[in-house]
Amino acid sequence: MASIDIDAPGTNQLLIGNEAIARGALEAGVGFAAAYPGTPSSEIMESLASVSKNMGIYAQWSVNEKVAMEAAAGASFAGIRAIASMKQNGVNVISDFLANLVMTGIGNGGLVLVSCDDPSAISSSNEQDTRPIAKWLDIPLLEPGNFQEAKEMTKWLFDLSEELGTICMLRSVTRISHARGNVKLGELLKKEQKAYFDQIHDTRNVMPTKFMPVPSALRHALLHVRLDNAREKFESSPFNWYVGPDNADLLIITCGSCWLYSREAVKALKLDDRVGILKLGTLWPLPEKFVERHLSKSQKVLVVEEIDPFLERSVMELVANLPPGAPRPLFYGKRSGDINAYGELNPDKVIKAVSNIMGLAYQPRDIEYGKKAEEISKSNVPERMMTFCPGCAHRASFWAIKNALKLDGRNGIVTGDIGCYSMALGPAGFFQVRTMHCMGAGIGVANGLGKLGQFGFNQPVLAVCGDSTFFHAAIPALINGIYNQSNFILIVLDNSATAMTGFQPHPGTGVSAMGEPTKAVSMEALCRSLGIHVDICDPFDLESTTATLLEMMADGGAKVVIMRRECELVRSHREKGKPYKVHVDPEKCIGEACGCDRLCTRVFRCPGLIWDKEAGKAKIDEVICTGCGVCADICPQGAIVKEAT
Amino acid sequence: MDTKVKGSKELFDEVIDAGLCTLCGACTGGCPYLVPYKGRIVLLDNCTLTEGQCYQYCPRTYTDMNAISQQVHGVPYSKDELGTAKEVLMARSTDARIREKAQYGGTVTTLLSLALSEGLVDGAIMSKTSDDKTPGAFLARNVEEVLEGAGSNYMACPVLEALNHIPKDSQEGLAIVAIPCQAMALAKMKKDPPQDRVNIGNVKIVIGLFCTWALSPDGFHHFLKENLELPQVTKFDIPPPPANRFDAYAQSGKVSFPLDQIRKYVMSSCSYCLDMTSEFADISVGSVEGIEGWNTLIVRTNAGAELVEMAKMKGKLETDTLPPQNLAHLKEAALLKKKRALQEIVKRSGDINNLLYVGLSKGMVDKLLSE
Repeated sequence: MASIDIDAPGTNQLLIGNEAIARGALEAGVGFAAAYPGTPSSEIMESLASVSKNMGIYAQWSVNEKVAMEAAAGASFAGIRAIASMKQNGVNVISDFLANLVMTGIGNGGLVLVSCDDPSAISSSNEQDTRPIAKWLDIPLLEPGNFQEAKEMTKWLFDLSEELGTICMLRSVTRISHARGNVKLGELLKKEQKAYFDQIHDTRNVMPTKFMPVPSALRHALLHVRLDNAREKFESSPFNWYVGPDNADLLIITCGSCWLYSREAVKALKLDDRVGILKLGTLWPLPEKFVERHLSKSQKVLVVEEIDPFLERSVMELVANLPPGAPRPLFYGKRSGDINAYGELNPDKVIKAVSNIMGLAYQPRDIEYGKKAEEISKSNVPERMMTFCPGCAHRASFWAIKNALKLDGRNGIVTGDIGCYSMALGPAGFFQVRTMHCMGAGIGVANGLGKLGQFGFNQPVLAVCGDSTFFHAAIPALINGIYNQSNFILIVLDNSATAMTGFQPHPGTGVSAMGEPTKAVSMEALCRSLGIHVDICDPFDLESTTATLLEMMADGGAKVVIMRRECELVRSHREKGKPYKVHVDPEKCIGEACGCDRLCTRVFRCPGLIWDKEAGKAKIDEVICTGCGVCADICPQGAIVKEAT
Repeated sequence: MDTKVKGSKELFDEVIDAGLCTLCGACTGGCPYLVPYKGRIVLLDNCTLTEGQCYQYCPRTYTDMNAISQQVHGVPYSKDELGTAKEVLMARSTDARIREKAQYGGTVTTLLSLALSEGLVDGAIMSKTSDDKTPGAFLARNVEEVLEGAGSNYMACPVLEALNHIPKDSQEGLAIVAIPCQAMALAKMKKDPPQDRVNIGNVKIVIGLFCTWALSPDGFHHFLKENLELPQVTKFDIPPPPANRFDAYAQSGKVSFPLDQIRKYVMSSCSYCLDMTSEFADISVGSVEGIEGWNTLIVRTNAGAELVEMAKMKGKLETDTLPPQNLAHLKEAALLKKKRALQEIVKRSGDINNLLYVGLSKGMVDKLLSE
């Protein structure tokens, strides 16, 4: 990762989009940063935290997005510039706070929310578009079309936020956040900042605090004035521009990474003199006069944007309000079916849409090319399914869960949520997880399932959540289940890390984002304080973990079992060497014969196990085997041997 | 009747889910997918094999009765009510300690103890109840451990799981205490020796128990738990007719339940079983109606005869002639079980020529039904 605090104004640095955003915040003199990890947003906080001491800023991984946003607002209320960053799902989590924050306005410190969206849900549960939230909650919104803009916009949003007195939002997407490009650096703003909360009730200030959302109607009206001010500034923003002829056969209106795709499409089709591109960086409120001026450039408008028809509808609204007799262009985009309203876009898709509208027979590439490329890549890459890492404790946990549910025999259900363990929807976790929604949803859903006894429901309900998720969203649902006497077992898959997003610390780890030691919160002490039975298992001890689950299921009631085993990637990073040396005794391995049927490579499927087709035996891939030894415990023939190292 | 060997899917379709499973344990122990748990055979994961030893040795998949009889006894399936037998006797242990601990005459415990102490076998596979009287398969390695397993609990127990758990390279000789379905599964293994499991030749002696039916280890255990302080119970007994009750003994005294209250916990599969006296064992042992403290003993094979002879010679076992009226009663009861089972089987299959698992000639079946 590049260091974002290089004090070299005017130089070009190769930064990923998220680093550019973080750099923008530094150049704006941000003092406070809070976030909850989530792909593709995590590097913003990671890079800010890594320079926090040098830059004299405060950085925290918060317990969840809502707390991050509220904490950042707290800093703003006391005059410190603050930023909160998260992935798209997190914006839903903070929406209740945001709806009130826009009413109260911010303090003297600029406040910026960064949402990194994930079109195609490459590393997400959904591909929700957060731009409509800005419109819904009256928040000024910008979206960068390249890496330089990612930095410049972030920096400017602090100024804008302070000028308008309201929170401002930056939306990025995976292809901006995680792609890398040249960014010309500006000056780092390092200044002494004094925090003071000035809404004190005393003889000089007898007014109530301004940080309350009442009187709502009045404040709502004031918010609209702020938005009008923002629109006015956006009319002349350098983040909006037009390239192309004065009279175009087609006008593309686009934003974000789609600007890059659109430009590439026009170039590839050699249509620079026939197609114009209106690139917008200030998406909400829409700079109406600016857009209106360019609408007259063509009779045909194609809106190129990912996921929701946000710009498309905003521009249509604008056209609907044009005076009588004004030219009304023909719209192409999601409504017409030329641009898909789901999944990522790419230059090919834009080329296809433009070709279709322009009546061109352009073939983006030879049809055979794709097939050939796929064949070549397959020949060099071993076929691997999406699965847990070798040595991952989750594989062992789900093995025990699977066996316990089968033995119990009542068709028990596992409800899940977001984390590496979401992969237990598939073969990695033996298809055990049956529901997956948002953070903490598994235990919430379990609360309902566990109260259906009066309707004849007798299936055991197991909710799984990770350790970070436990702190993020599971606690209120657990308390609800205890209070309302629901029947479920909360299984905390405690690998002592926020593993899926890159091992960020959380309240259970005993270390802060800035690398300082902190008091770890004991989840077992917390759960026990709620007056329920809590067991702690080592998932590598398959037998006792299975037995614990069976006992708990037979007992009924709300219970917690913590399956604790450190993430193997964390362990192997700290300790060199493997706990066991594992090998297969080919004399004992019976492979596909009755009495095994390839249990290890067909069902258990740790990537460290290889099926040697020719020999008809299992083998250990010594390069990736981490020596956890769990496979030795599942081998029915005692053919997998583990020797302590 | 389908005589082919099939896989675990068909085992579930035709036996386990069809209510024919006796919980003998033959399909478990040597397989990572099939596990006995609280009175059920559980499939932990799908096995892809279309032919499996689970199906092959199951005593409720097709069984060629003549072939396994030929294997164990050297003759085709006998039309005698008690199966192939060299001798039918009355026997009891000479050791008072054994008699006290064991059911009736302590013959099984005595024979196992002798086989172990004389080095004829290195271990004895049997069922044993835990402190809370849950039955489980168990490998006894000495006389003391055999005594721990003494006494009946009347619950089905997957005893053969313990056999299949023994490492395949083990050379140790084994005795097995089996109920009729288990003796039949063992006979099927002797006929077609298992692969990748312990050598069936290591099984030196099969001591069969008389069995009219077995109780579900889940349902019945639950009943016991609700009605008794199980850790206090020292012995269970179903005294011979006409008592018609189930007795549980504890230090505080005896608690009796009417047999009718117990019957609903009988394994559904038992009504399809023809065998009351463990006809494919080397020796079969049961109670004697009306004569307390003695066992009925059927000697069936040479191996069985040698062990009984040694026990008598060493003064461990005392034998007597079974009174003719007792023998007649026993035969009557054994025949009644065969008839009832065949009737149930035909009722189920709906076809006089389809006897589900029973591979017997039509002539033999007609003979049994007409006697």
